Amino acid sequence: MLIRSVFCLLLALGALGVAQAAAPTCSRTFTLALHDHGLLYSADTDTGIDKDVADELIRRSGCQVTVSVLPRSRIWQLIESGALDFSLSGITNPARDKFAAFAWYFSNKYYLLVRKDTGVRQLADFEGNERLRLGVIRSFRYSDTANRLVDQLHHDDRVTLAGGLAPLYQTLLLNHIQGMIIEPFDYPALGEKKLREITSIIEFNDPAVPHGLIMSRQALSATEQESWRALVQGMRADGSMRRIFEKYFKPDMAAMLVNF
Amino acid sequence: MRWRLLPLLVLALALGLTWLVWTHERERSRTALRAQFDFAVRETVSRVEQRMAAYEQLVRGVQALFATTGRLDRAALRTYVDTLQLDANFSGIQDIGVVQHLPASDKDQHLTEMRRLGLDDYVIYPEGQRDRYAPIIQREPELRSALAPLGFDAWTEPVRRQAMERARDSGMAALSGKVRLAVDPATRATPGFILYLPVFQPGQPRDSVAQRRAHLVGWVYASFHMSDFVASLYGALAPGLSVAFFDDVVLSDASLLYRSTDYSAEPQTLAGLKLSANEYLVLAGHTWTLSVSALKEFQSSLGRDTSPVIAVTGIWLSLMLAVLAWLLGTGRDRALRLAAHMTEELRHMAQHDSLTGLPNRALFSDRLNQELSRARRHEDQFAVMFLDLDNFKPINDRFGHAVGDLLLQQVARRLRLAIRESDTIGRIGGDEFVVLMPELAATEAALNVAEKIREALRQPFQIEDHTLLISCSVGIAIYPDDGTDEISLTKSADQAMYRAKASTREPAARS
Repeated sequence: MLIRSVFCLLLALGALGVAQAAAPTCSRTFTLALHDHGLLYSADTDTGIDKDVADELIRRSGCQVTVSVLPRSRIWQLIESGALDFSLSGITNPARDKFAAFAWYFSNKYYLLVRKDTGVRQLADFEGNERLRLGVIRSFRYSDTANRLVDQLHHDDRVTLAGGLAPLYQTLLLNHIQGMIIEPFDYPALGEKKLREITSIIEFNDPAVPHGLIMSRQALSATEQESWRALVQGMRADGSMRRIFEKYFKPDMAAMLVNF
Repeated sequence: MRWRLLPLLVLALALGLTWLVWTHERERSRTALRAQFDFAVRETVSRVEQRMAAYEQLVRGVQALFATTGRLDRAALRTYVDTLQLDANFSGIQDIGVVQHLPASDKDQHLTEMRRLGLDDYVIYPEGQRDRYAPIIQREPELRSALAPLGFDAWTEPVRRQAMERARDSGMAALSGKVRLAVDPATRATPGFILYLPVFQPGQPRDSVAQRRAHLVGWVYASFHMSDFVASLYGALAPGLSVAFFDDVVLSDASLLYRSTDYSAEPQTLAGLKLSANEYLVLAGHTWTLSVSALKEFQSSLGRDTSPVIAVTGIWLSLMLAVLAWLLGTGRDRALRLAAHMTEELRHMAQHDSLTGLPNRALFSDRLNQELSRARRHEDQFAVMFLDLDNFKPINDRFGHAVGDLLLQQVARRLRLAIRESDTIGRIGGDEFVVLMPELAATEAALNVAEKIREALRQPFQIEDHTLLISCSVGIAIYPDDGTDEISLTKSADQAMYRAKASTREPAARS
């Protein structure tokens, strides 16, 4: 409890610091893209964490922002070209750092969802069995160990790509793929009895990976990036970010995700 | 042994190096091929997504039109579609239309309204009482309605209904599964799909699913033939790729939307790789499976795989290198052997008569001196015999040197047969021969051999067509009686021979 109190204090002090950054200048209509991914955003219901975060950012900035839904791979292409200003829940790597800036607001671990009938008990079992295929969303990156697994299996031609989660769940049930990498946002799908019965979960032994607001370096100046980053920090500091997560997770889980 | 192993070692090293380079090149070629294939698949996916986004944007224009006017305005839609000038770039679109959301309670009023617009034959079909209807109330271009009358209740068809429900609940574009378009005849089953966008009452909240359901007015849609959609993708697909699209994630004839003419589910083997991939595209909330396989042309479009050339050239060069190593390694041995052989030949030539192969004067002299030493040591005796052919010169003059030479060769052969095995016979002049008879037990033995020789030579010689008769004169010197050194012995034998030649009765004389 003491540690958490100290953490909150430090966060609040940090927020005071970033509060010095100027509010975003709404010199034009900005663009923001969501991607359909579990609790982050569901196109079926037009709801999700990312949508709530986007709504709150738009509200706080006072800027006009056009929100669209795009495949994740397309989002990264557009962010790189500067045709798209923002997206949400992005993770970084050296290649992305060159064209995108980030404002972190939660962090989570990755898990391997694997069919029980494969007999896989640990990650090495999956990698070692040449008959097993992994389903991956195109352009997605994960934690270090997960990335290494994906890259190795891709080299071995054992990866099936998809534009979203839904076909991966379908093909996992059909045994076209035998495993896929999931995050806490994908837990609701596991609530489905059929999927729960045939799968087990193996944790990647990596630290939690921070996720955040993606900002195109091509489209936004360093000053603009800093002002939007301040908005995100403000949402974290005043608890609004945690409240958004608590709409979708139990309080302890929400706290674990946003306090990192 | 060392030099024998060297070529094998060189061959093994060169083949090993060839294998390494070949493996590296093959791996590089495979990696490049796979990277190019991955890029081609990604490019295809990207084109489909962008094309679909463009179509969605176009239908959004219709949605925006109704949002602006606040009603499903037939004239406005017609004008809008005319203005769009849908050319070949949008050839995938069969028609753009409007579906009205109609609770059962509004059905009669709706029919009245449609007939008031001049559509006297308008009915909602299939017939039947339902709690809601979703009839198509307008198609543009209007000509398309000649193929299928307005009033088709799309809600009655499960695939269409599912997409319409998704569009309604999400407020966004929703793609249907595989359908036969209403404007297509039942006999011509061209796979198609429909893109729906919902239209809500203007000014009403639509933030939740419940609000969207409550304020739904209808849908705008665009319908497509899959083959036309693929044809309208930007540019040609990568050469050598066979492509098929399937509805949802199960690959079957029932779910097949499109396949290129050269499509084969079983990929061809390129550089030892079978390049194929199934990728699931999520388009407007619906899944398609893109199945891609690489054909032979795909590899040729990348340039030639040089690994077979490296393998063949490497093996050939390895063999050449091994042969070169063998030549270099064994050259000294072979040179020494050749030198020894040539030395032996030279030595033989130096010590033997080239015509008869008999020892010459030098060799004979050497052996005579050896025998002298031996005889002195053992106080033994030996004989030296000089032999001169009689009448040889006339034969030589008459029949020529060739015949004379052949005669001398035959004489040499007969002399070899006539003497003892331990004796040495040599030729010291044109028709002069000399015999060394070591370890002579008695003087008579030398005379016996001389007589044996004379008898052998007295036999006729058959040379070419000539029968030749010759004889010989023999002079014998015995060590130590007739001389104790080479000079005295040869002189004694020579004198004895001339005496024998002079005496017709004593052709063999002793000094």
